[in-house]
Amino acid sequence: MPDVLVQYQTEIWRSIGETFIMVGVSILAAVLVGLPLGTWLYLSRKGQLLENRAVFSVLNLVVNIVRSFPFLLLVVFLIPFTRLIIGTALGTAAATVPLSIIAIAHYSRLVEQSLLDVPRGVVEAAVSMGASIKDVIFKFLYVEARSGLVLGLTTSIISFISYSTIMGVVGGGGIGDFAIRYGYQQFKTELMLYMIFIMLVFVQLIQFTGTTVARVIDKR
Amino acid sequence: MITLTNVSKQFGRDEAVRDVSLQIERGEMYGIIGASGAGKSTLLRLMNLLETPDAGTVTVDGNELTSLSSRQLREQRHVIGMIFQQFNLVGNKTVYDNVVAPLKLARRPQAKHEERVLECLRFVGLESFKDKYPAQLSGGQKQRVAIARALANEPHVLLCDEPTSSLDPNTTAEILGVLKSINEALGVTIVIVTHEMDVIKQVCDRVTVMADGSVYETLDLVPRGVPEIDNNPAWFVNELRKAGEPDA
Repeated sequence: MPDVLVQYQTEIWRSIGETFIMVGVSILAAVLVGLPLGTWLYLSRKGQLLENRAVFSVLNLVVNIVRSFPFLLLVVFLIPFTRLIIGTALGTAAATVPLSIIAIAHYSRLVEQSLLDVPRGVVEAAVSMGASIKDVIFKFLYVEARSGLVLGLTTSIISFISYSTIMGVVGGGGIGDFAIRYGYQQFKTELMLYMIFIMLVFVQLIQFTGTTVARVIDKR
Repeated sequence: MITLTNVSKQFGRDEAVRDVSLQIERGEMYGIIGASGAGKSTLLRLMNLLETPDAGTVTVDGNELTSLSSRQLREQRHVIGMIFQQFNLVGNKTVYDNVVAPLKLARRPQAKHEERVLECLRFVGLESFKDKYPAQLSGGQKQRVAIARALANEPHVLLCDEPTSSLDPNTTAEILGVLKSINEALGVTIVIVTHEMDVIKQVCDRVTVMADGSVYETLDLVPRGVPEIDNNPAWFVNELRKAGEPDA
C-alpha cells in the first residue's frame, strides 16, 4: 500500500462513503421517480394509451429545462429549495437534492426512449386481451423493455458519479472533492491519480455489471 | 354474433371507415378483403374497440361494446381473441408465459392455468415448445403461439388481422388449417382480414369486399378447403409443371 494512501485512509474511506451516499440516493430517486415519470412521458405521447398533449408538453419541457442547465448552475440555483427541504444547503445530505433532481430528469428520458423501442403491436395485443393500463405497464412494457431500462440505468449511474464529483462546491464531499482538495490543491498529484483510478474501477465495474445483466435478461 | 351499425372512423382528414353496417353470424368464418387503405384493418379493429368509432355501434355476443365502461370493455375483450400479422408476442416471455398472460389478465383461477396453457399449446401442436422464447421459433410457430394465446380464455370470437400475410405458402396453409379446426372443433366465430384472395377462397363462408372505407359487396362462398402442401421436392416440381395450366 503506497504511503500516501495509508496516510489519508480515513479521509479516503469517508469520501468513498460520501460518494456512495450521493450516488445511492440518486439511483433511488431515478428508479422511484424517474421510472414513473419516464413511463408517463411515454404514455402521454401522441398515439399512446394516455395521449394528452398538455401533460406531455409540460413533462417534456420540465425534463428538458433540468437537463439543459449546466450542472454546477443547477446546484447553485437550487440552493433555496435544498435549504427548504434539508434545512441546510451544505453537506452530503444537501448535495443529494440537486443530484436527485438531475437523476430523475436524466433517467426519465432514457426510460421514455427504452419504452419507445417496444413494438407498438405488443401493446396493442395486450389491450386486445383486456389488459388495463397498469397491466400494460407492468406485464408488457417493462418486461419487453427491461434490458433497455437496465442499460439506461447503467449509463445514468455513471453520469451520477460524474455529477457527484463537483458536489464539493456545497460541501458534499465525495471522491472527486477529495481528489481536488488534497490531490490537486495540495500538489499531491500521486494522490489525485489514485483517486481517479478508484473512480475508473467503479465505473468499469458498473458498466460491466449493467451490460452483463442487460444481455442475460434479453431474450428477444 | 358481431353487429356493426353505421360505424364510421376518421383519422385526421382520412375517412378510414364510413358508415359501415354488417352482421356476422355465430360460427361463421367471415372474410374481409380489399386493397391497401380500403379500411379493412380498421374495420376489424373496431370489432374489439381497439379503435373507437366516431359514430355507430358495435355489438359482440349481445353486448354493445360502444356503451360499456372501460372495465366492462376489458372483461369483454377477454373473450374476443385477436391475432396479428406481426404475431405481437412478448419476446422476453417464454411460449408458456405468453399463453398464460391472458389467463392472468382475466384472473382465472391459478390452479387451472397450467392445464389450460398446455391444452392450448397442444391444440396448435407446440406443447414441447413451452420453454422456448419467440426468437427461437419460425414465423409459423410464432403465429401458432399467438393463436394459442388468443384461445386461452375460450373466446367466442377470433379476430385475425392479416394472419398469414408475412408467412410463406406452406406456413399459410398450416395456419389456415389451424383456424379452420378452431372454427369447426370449438365453434369459434372467426373474422379474417386479408389482401390474399386464396385465403378467403380456401376457408371463408362469407366475404365482404371493401373499397374506400365502405362495403362494396358481401357474398356467400363455398370454402374450397386448405390445399395439401408438403415440403417434398416432388411436390414443388409437380406444382411448377402445371404452372402453365389454369388454376383449377
